[in-house]
Amino acid sequence: MKTDYKKIERMTPAMRIIHWANAICMIAAIITGLYIAHPYYQSFIADGAVDKYVMAWNRWAHFISAIIFDVTSIVVAYLYFFSRFEKPYKKLIPNAKNVKEFGEVILNLLTLNRRKRFDSTHSDSFNTVYFTIFHLLLFFMLFTGLQLYVHGLESGESSIGTWWPALLHISTDWTIPVTGGTLMDVRIAHHITMWLIVVWMVFHIYYQIWRTIFWEEGDIAIVIGGSKFVKDGK
Amino acid sequence: MAEARDESIKKLFDAKSAKVDTNKGEEYFSDLYESCKVRIGELKDMPIAGRGVDLRKALEDDGFERRDFLKWASATTAMLMLPASFTPLVAEAAEVMNRIPVVWIELSDCAGNSEALLRSDGPKIDEIVLDIISLEFHETLQAAAGHQAEKQLEEALELFKGKYILFVEGAIPLGIDGNFGTIGAKAETFKDHLLRLADGAAAVIAVGACATYGGIPAAAPNPTDAVGVMDLVKGKPIINIPACPANPANMVGVVLHYALTGSVPELDSLLRPKFAFGYRIHDNCERRAHFDAGEYVEEWGDEGAKNNFCLYKMGCKGPMTFNNCSIIRYNEAVNWPIGVGRGCIGCSEPDFWDKYAYERPMANAHIKAPTGGVEKTVDEFGLGLLTAAGIGIGIHAAASAIAGKKNSDEKDV
Repeated sequence: MKTDYKKIERMTPAMRIIHWANAICMIAAIITGLYIAHPYYQSFIADGAVDKYVMAWNRWAHFISAIIFDVTSIVVAYLYFFSRFEKPYKKLIPNAKNVKEFGEVILNLLTLNRRKRFDSTHSDSFNTVYFTIFHLLLFFMLFTGLQLYVHGLESGESSIGTWWPALLHISTDWTIPVTGGTLMDVRIAHHITMWLIVVWMVFHIYYQIWRTIFWEEGDIAIVIGGSKFVKDGK
Repeated sequence: MAEARDESIKKLFDAKSAKVDTNKGEEYFSDLYESCKVRIGELKDMPIAGRGVDLRKALEDDGFERRDFLKWASATTAMLMLPASFTPLVAEAAEVMNRIPVVWIELSDCAGNSEALLRSDGPKIDEIVLDIISLEFHETLQAAAGHQAEKQLEEALELFKGKYILFVEGAIPLGIDGNFGTIGAKAETFKDHLLRLADGAAAVIAVGACATYGGIPAAAPNPTDAVGVMDLVKGKPIINIPACPANPANMVGVVLHYALTGSVPELDSLLRPKFAFGYRIHDNCERRAHFDAGEYVEEWGDEGAKNNFCLYKMGCKGPMTFNNCSIIRYNEAVNWPIGVGRGCIGCSEPDFWDKYAYERPMANAHIKAPTGGVEKTVDEFGLGLLTAAGIGIGIHAAASAIAGKKNSDEKDV
């Protein structure tokens, strides 16, 4: 018997581009960041230094991916409130409807899809909260990372003017007392948050695959094609 | 309450990092030059304080030529981040430094900062300049002992009230009412001793990591509740010269700046003079090129170590430490820690013993669990989190696989 499926738009092209830009930047930042924290491979001792420049390239890649990441996360923060497509902040307000939906989604996961009493055609409140946690971690990385970066701009000068280090100081110096009072605490906090983001990513990938298999609504296609399919009449 | 909250909010946004403005413009420096000239003229008219010594004679006695002294003066001018035109003024200021009375006290310390002044192969000009200041009281160096020493201190405090500079070396233990450390026949606690002496001082200079932030006495678990000078003394100008030991060149720099301008040098939010602690070790390190190239010492004595490779993987903390020892080094630029082939331990940063000095890269640093119990390295902690997440996912995936998909036609079983 033929089942009718309805196509539902879930991610705009801009959202999908941001998603994959983030994913690539994140992998690049983790690979290079682990090297910066503890150089885990060696360069050949006989090569001339000019041919290696290994740490410098790692740091370059780390900063470039971080700054792309920073810009996209600012764009996403904007879209949280002003997107014409979907306003995620509405799902963050802890009203009765959202709290109930949040609980139902968790129950769905824990009962291995034996219980599914929520509307899966849109981004549910559990998903939105989960993404918000990611963005908060990301903002913390942004501020701690830029604090570590501004240590190298002691003179207050930079290639793009004095406003840049000044802005970095104003916006990121609070990370020192918040993380524990020393520059080392900022670095340790930056590194541990990386691990939290890795853990976040592992569950994110698992959960999206699990949904695709168990819900049978093609959720994994959202991030590529922008849409999923639900059975008609739902 | 509201005031305390405002204070803590202010602290939150206070720039704890250094930011150095090296070029303040011609107008600023010409004004400063004039005021310094007036100030030095005033000092010249003053008599040499108590035990002060004539610098020219002291230099001559130690076999230094006038030319050596002027070379030192121009280097010191550069260190203080003043234009070269200030060199004659700096030389004059060094000569009138003997007008400034100094009281030096030691608290919970190892006398390492005093040793740094004394234990060079021969007196350097920095040390001689410090010798000529009128050192009215210094427990380790003076001949007097016991009641005589106390009498000498009381006389100095009376005679130079409101004028002397108080150098403090060592942390202040606050546990059991401060009785972890007492001084003198009356068993005055370090805390009372410091507060009494700071009361009549023109300025308080904390030298060394212990006096600045509590240093090693305050390292975990801090059994004596040791704190630094700035945690205790309020309402006085405080200058911190951290490092273990503090560099004599920076001590001279601060006193010289005071003699020259009559004011304390520009400080960062940890009250460290910016001329000394405004730049990272890393950015002026002679091994920086090896850092960028990814050439690291892997273990002590390996081929990299023989070739002066970067010590980052041996736990060098130069990238997180603000100090000028990579520029001015120690003992008149003879050498410094990284120059002798061992990493920086971040001795000029707060909590350095717990957070910097473990001689491993940061990723391998031991951190305490929030409960304070188990110590794990940063990466072990992260991998632990990842393993926990992996186990959780594994259980869920296995359960899902065994339970199988719900028949899509059944509704809410």
